[in-house]
Amino acid sequence: MSGNLHTRRMGEEYNTIFRQCVSLNTELHKLVPLAKQMHLLSSNAVSSAARAGSEGDAFRVLTQDIQLLGDEVSECIGDTQKVIAEIVKLASNLAKLFTNYIIYIDLKGRIGEEESSLTSARFFDRGHQMVVEELRANNYKLSRSLGVLTNLLSPIAILVKKGEYLAVCSSVEAASAGEHGVSFEAVSSMLRELVGQLGLQSARQRSLLRDLSDAMEKQQNNQRKLLYAR
Amino acid sequence: MRVEQLYKKNAHSWMVMGRDAERREEVIDTNHYLIQNNGRGLLLDPGGVENFSVVAAEFSKHFELANVEAIFASHQDPDVISSLPLWIQANPDLIVYMPKIWVSFITHFGVKLENIRPIPDEGGVITLGGHDLEVVPAHYLHSSGNLSVYDPQSKIFFSGDIGAALLPDDSTNLFVEDFDEHTQYMEYFHRRWMPSNTAKMRWIAEVRKRDVEMLCPQHGAIFKGKDVARFLSWFENLDLGSAWSNVR
Repeated sequence: MSGNLHTRRMGEEYNTIFRQCVSLNTELHKLVPLAKQMHLLSSNAVSSAARAGSEGDAFRVLTQDIQLLGDEVSECIGDTQKVIAEIVKLASNLAKLFTNYIIYIDLKGRIGEEESSLTSARFFDRGHQMVVEELRANNYKLSRSLGVLTNLLSPIAILVKKGEYLAVCSSVEAASAGEHGVSFEAVSSMLRELVGQLGLQSARQRSLLRDLSDAMEKQQNNQRKLLYAR
Repeated sequence: MRVEQLYKKNAHSWMVMGRDAERREEVIDTNHYLIQNNGRGLLLDPGGVENFSVVAAEFSKHFELANVEAIFASHQDPDVISSLPLWIQANPDLIVYMPKIWVSFITHFGVKLENIRPIPDEGGVITLGGHDLEVVPAHYLHSSGNLSVYDPQSKIFFSGDIGAALLPDDSTNLFVEDFDEHTQYMEYFHRRWMPSNTAKMRWIAEVRKRDVEMLCPQHGAIFKGKDVARFLSWFENLDLGSAWSNVR
């Protein structure tokens, strides 16, 4: 396969990677309001338990777990925001570096064709090599950051399970809490809805992350072939 | 791309490159200048990322680019200087002269401070291979931090965007052939991009103090001989910042 074809494929792949990073960033930002709602819900749950007096004792224990769940979700989301910001920056750098790579290839081609040129194409080797090294370094950092993000997102699935379990427990408490059961059930229903949304978002993000990792792998193969071809 | 020698005497010369036929339609055509003195080179407004490979390849035919020791940026625009990181990657020792007020902006292109020699508002001197070039303030024409370069030996005045013209795509002339005909390509550019008549009068006074044989803009055709004075008179009578009717 020719170097030009690999070059074109790499350019397309960098654009794909950048677009996927931006999509993932958008999806991850959707988790922020979910975490806020989870905190609000835990405050409401504490109030409901307090209003119920001794009948709310068992529910009060659950509210502590709901609060803890909210904290864990917030912590997880806070960390992912930092990593995805770095990932978008790296993807943007990669696209820019690849443009510079193409420019140097074009320049060296032009100078190489000109026998009477007073400047050797080798003068631009340094710049070209610097771009190649930065491309490699950015690729490595991006792959590593994607791994970190995958690790950060994996506990969300566990948190979703935990939330579902807490919602069931809340419903059980609601059924045995007499007149206060109505407000407990409202908390339970809201919790179910929030963890349901969290589950859907989490699944969507895992899927985007898988696509992104696949694109990175393809891109790295193209890069190896391109460097080999030259 | 056309390349021509504007001046040559002993080890001192000026070269211009312009009319890039390969450029994309939406990219403005730009002129680039290379001054050589005693084997050392200075590039004036080397251009954007878009045409880096063309500019470098063309000047390579005429000069050993390893001997280009400095770049001069008249102001901060991308068509003037966005190729800078590529030049510096090729030669990390390159010096970049630029208006002081743009230093913290141009560094956004990825340039390090160690390469930059800021030029103060009042202008200064650039020495190339033992030869002094005058840096003349041209602020607000059009950029708020803008500089021109005058070479007393060749009597060439590099004016940046002043005297620029938006020529038709089929124009290949590097020099103004018919001044009256040429003004139609300059008028809107100056009225729209340049905001200050006061700044204009100060700059014109500075140019008139000097013996100028060629006035070389970054876009369009070069003025030589009597067309230099014609341009200064035309410019003097133009009301800058007055293209609002086309904007509203």
